[in-house]
Amino acid sequence: MPGLESTSGVDSTVENIGRLPPDVFAETTFQRAGIDLEWKALQSIIRLLSSNFRTAAKNNLTADQLVARLGEGSRHWAKAVLQVVHQLWSEHGSLIHTYQEAHAMASIGQMVDMQWKLGMAVSSDTCRSLNSPYVSLLLKVADTSGEVSYKSFEMTIPQFQNFHSQFKDISAALETV
Amino acid sequence: MADADTVKSLNGLLNGIAQKIYYNKSEITEDLLKNELYPDLSPEEFHALHEKMKSLVKSIASADMDQAQLEAFLTAQTRKQGGSGGVSAEQAAALSRFWKSHRARIRESLVGQSRWEPGLRGLSWRVDVQTASSRGEPSGNAVALVELELGRQGEDSDFVCLEFDEVKVNQVLKKMAEIQESIDSIVNKS
Repeated sequence: MPGLESTSGVDSTVENIGRLPPDVFAETTFQRAGIDLEWKALQSIIRLLSSNFRTAAKNNLTADQLVARLGEGSRHWAKAVLQVVHQLWSEHGSLIHTYQEAHAMASIGQMVDMQWKLGMAVSSDTCRSLNSPYVSLLLKVADTSGEVSYKSFEMTIPQFQNFHSQFKDISAALETV
Repeated sequence: MADADTVKSLNGLLNGIAQKIYYNKSEITEDLLKNELYPDLSPEEFHALHEKMKSLVKSIASADMDQAQLEAFLTAQTRKQGGSGGVSAEQAAALSRFWKSHRARIRESLVGQSRWEPGLRGLSWRVDVQTASSRGEPSGNAVALVELELGRQGEDSDFVCLEFDEVKVNQVLKKMAEIQESIDSIVNKS
């Protein structure tokens, strides 16, 4: 299951979670608290937690199963932290699962067309010297009823390269099936 | 005030300014900074100091100054005459240290602030093999399900779930190779 394998990035993120006092951690899980952790570490914490919760909801894991999986993913989880996760999931897990199921069934679409643009943000009212290249994508998506909608989004160059690399992984996975 | 204290307060002030204007920490107010760092200054004196430092930080950030530009800028500032215009050597040193350690993060914040299209917050995917379908399609087809998490700053995420077969994925890869070519040609020019 993607997202729960152990990598050194996951380990260090998990260790950072252990540095938060348990009641703060509980607060952070549903809204950001003002902790003086390095910004990227905090972003990683939030993404790791959201990703784990969403995966657990999709697979309808019980609180015990979720905690067991987290432990498999990294040895660095602090016991107190796992207890909080267990409690939160026992209270809210099934609700999230139900919501996700309803959400997912309605919305699998086909990408009909993809247009791209490579741009450079030169300056803005808050920064005269922005000099920031970006990739912008415009996706034409048809849903299951045939209705067409457009989704556009921007990526920084490193984000785009990651995106590209993930699609290469997808291609490899499709070939091996 | 001992030198070490002055340096510490200056560092704290600059850090607080960054937290408020670039890192979205709205709970940091001018009053908070004054009480924490400069309790002995009068409100007017602190306000003047705060505004001056804020204005300097904004100028440095807006121009995304490199080392040379920063030194030239700070030197010019220390030479300015007049009580409220000039910058002390200590303040210049503090600003220099501050910019070295915060530049990347402030830049990231500014780039983010100027992006109004949704950004890509996450991508997850899985590959399924179709075993049966109500429309009588042949089974055994491999299909990739890709979920894109998109969102603007401060807004909730929009999840877009898309289905791709091998042909589609290859079409996408072809476009991405074109994008990469375009990126490479710009990098080589500059």
